[in-house]
Amino acid sequence: MTSLSRRSLLRGSVAAAGLLSLAACRSAAESGDGAAASAGPRRGGTLSLATTIDYTPSLLFAQSANTLVQRLVFNTLTRYDDQLRPQPELATSWQPAADGRSITFKLRDDVLFHDGRKFTADDVIFAVKNLQNPVRSAQLRSTAATVTEFRKNGDHELTLELAHPVSNLFDLFEFMIITDSATVEDAVAGKQLIGTGPFRYGKRTPGSSITFTRNEKYWNPGRPYLDGVEIRVIPQADSLVSSLKTGQSHLSYHVPGKDLAGLKGSGQFQLRPYDTGSGAYYIGVNVSAEQVKDKRVRQAISWAVDRERLVQQALGGYGLPSAAPWPKSSPAYSDANATHYRHDPAKARELLKEAGVSGLTLPFAHSNTPDGTAIAQILQHDLKQVGIETELQPTDSPTMQKQLISQTMPALWTLSHGFAQLHPATLAVSAYPFNEAKNSSHFSSPGYTDIVQRAWKRPDSDSAEAKALYQQVTDTLLDEAFVIDLAIGGQIEVAGTKVHGATLNKFNYLNLDDAYLTV
Amino acid sequence: MRTFLLRRLPSGLLVLLAASFLIFLILRLIPGDPATSLAGPDAGPEAVAAIRARLGLDRPLLGQYLGWLGDLATGRLGPSYAIGGEVADLIGDSLGATVELTLGALLLVILLGLPLGVLGATVRRGPVAVAVRALTTTVLAIPPFVTGVVLVLVFAVTLGLLPAGGHESILDQPDLGVQYLLLPALCLALPSAAILGRYLKDGLERALAEDYVRTATALGISRRRIVLRHALPNALPPAVTVLGLQVGQLLGGAVLVEAIFAWPGLGQLAEQGVLRRDYPVVQDLLLLLVAVYVAVQLVTDLVYTWLDPRIRWE
Repeated sequence: MTSLSRRSLLRGSVAAAGLLSLAACRSAAESGDGAAASAGPRRGGTLSLATTIDYTPSLLFAQSANTLVQRLVFNTLTRYDDQLRPQPELATSWQPAADGRSITFKLRDDVLFHDGRKFTADDVIFAVKNLQNPVRSAQLRSTAATVTEFRKNGDHELTLELAHPVSNLFDLFEFMIITDSATVEDAVAGKQLIGTGPFRYGKRTPGSSITFTRNEKYWNPGRPYLDGVEIRVIPQADSLVSSLKTGQSHLSYHVPGKDLAGLKGSGQFQLRPYDTGSGAYYIGVNVSAEQVKDKRVRQAISWAVDRERLVQQALGGYGLPSAAPWPKSSPAYSDANATHYRHDPAKARELLKEAGVSGLTLPFAHSNTPDGTAIAQILQHDLKQVGIETELQPTDSPTMQKQLISQTMPALWTLSHGFAQLHPATLAVSAYPFNEAKNSSHFSSPGYTDIVQRAWKRPDSDSAEAKALYQQVTDTLLDEAFVIDLAIGGQIEVAGTKVHGATLNKFNYLNLDDAYLTV
Repeated sequence: MRTFLLRRLPSGLLVLLAASFLIFLILRLIPGDPATSLAGPDAGPEAVAAIRARLGLDRPLLGQYLGWLGDLATGRLGPSYAIGGEVADLIGDSLGATVELTLGALLLVILLGLPLGVLGATVRRGPVAVAVRALTTTVLAIPPFVTGVVLVLVFAVTLGLLPAGGHESILDQPDLGVQYLLLPALCLALPSAAILGRYLKDGLERALAEDYVRTATALGISRRRIVLRHALPNALPPAVTVLGLQVGQLLGGAVLVEAIFAWPGLGQLAEQGVLRRDYPVVQDLLLLLVAVYVAVQLVTDLVYTWLDPRIRWE
């Protein structure tokens, strides 16, 4: 038997103490703390959400790739249900004028900002004026700009006077967050966020995380259930998926299409597609390029692409193959429009022959992200089958945006667009690829401008006349094919089985009012 | 020494000035600018023009450059365009995270490299020797982005022992911080540990062939004592030189490892800055690196002056 020396004993004690300390300390591998187990909503817990894209403070008032923060800290006046019908939020009721030139809101009188100040009609006036400022790069600025006058009737009643009727007024109120006027510049500088929403802004570590804590004085009784929210920025998609698998993150809207099937099959996650239409994939065509001036060539491209395959292979099966930009929830949607162009290489070749085109080689720009590259390669293959060769040009996002805005895109490009999930006029007046006055495709037509303007300047959005105008907009888009829609992507929510009640609005603002965690 | 410093400082400042001009110019030559990046793909030219005006990007380039130099001279790095917050805070926080990762990795390099070297030199046959050789060759051959994915798969996804990524400051929350640090630091440290181990093994083998080892063995001193007390101290100096060189490798490698493990260090900041065309962040960060390099050169020259008196008179 060997004797135990003093040194050995000391070493052993230190090692044991080390192991004990490790065993006693908290585990970072465990997911955020959950509330007690139960079938119904439970209070408590911190929800951890993973995203590949960091929040950009200066884009607070624009629709961007990360709009998760907006509805956590702020509220909107109204919010849409699944049928695009506005529901009360900070506005309790509203009355549009018969001629569509004004609207009167009654506002909640029990709402406090996070700094304790009361919410009043002045905050709505500020919010509208703020969006009218081009510096905010708010895509619904044209709609905000139709508000020409404000009439207050006390602190909680407000009438907005409009320059002309607009059919997409409630898109604006779904989009427009109510911010604190005194700290708005701090908000866009990333220093602080003060709103009326369910969570107070905690701490932001750029490129890493943002934390939020429950607003104890939230106007919605008993809400939110969660103690807090943490948004984790995980730029690598594979690492994000690992974070979900380990339970370190509970929820994400940024899982790549190729990983969705695997997660669905694991039984660990609930996958929920949002029919928001944001993230609709398209081929843009620069109609000033000699090879694609003839619309028959553009139509041939639309016939050549296999939208079903693209949805299956690039979007993990989550998406609606569609030749038109509208999701199923849109008043402009119809099966006939969605299937107007199907995969028909023979038809494409016939049209090319009619146009007298052969041996066509086109430059084709695409985003240099993995998803963007996969989509471009699928399209390149399809076009090759009908005799159109393409030279792929992987391009980073700022360069592509500069080319889009300065109208210097090559003959073809592929990207995604938003705004088809709203009232149809919004797409043509707020999304630059479709803009009737000026767009990246160099497409203009008095007929298109006339239809778009008439659809936009209507006091109603659901009448038979309005729908007839939307159909005319769609007919023009399908016939002229300067934007060739491929698939309506939407957002896919990947949530661990603990997470319940998270939702997105039509602008992908994350709403966690009713969200809770179970063990 | 003062004369020496006075002679060297102007050239250092000149290098900084030339570097600032090149950095400023190259950033503006990259297609796309912060305004288009901020405006997003659905924005129109009017929104882009308004953002450009707000950021002062519509001013002549010379004015923008002189404005930046003026701000630097007064110690104001100003706000970031796209990432948000003050540039000084962003760089400070990221630098802290990168230093944390590099030091963590350095510690692991020593903890792993030393035993690998000692085992490699003392165990010549059998499964341990094969394992050590295989391990050092494998970790050297596999790039960190593969090692990183494997480590996450084993320790986070399968075993659930450590987090898959993220960061907690080791100073704020040591218990959590260590767990977040372990996998990225290990991923970063493995190739350097293998290199250190190999150098140490060679050094130890040479030391163990020396006469004093034979004498010590003849005197009946245990093999363990000979290796650890007599041969190892003699084999260490060249290994320490290699370790010093590896610090630079670790700092460079940290950029890649940060991306795999969502570690918010300088590499991530630089990547985000370039992707979003956040001019203030990128240009200040690059200039800071140049300044560090210039300062290191200056300090090196000073040390030489101190070591070699003849230089003082040159």
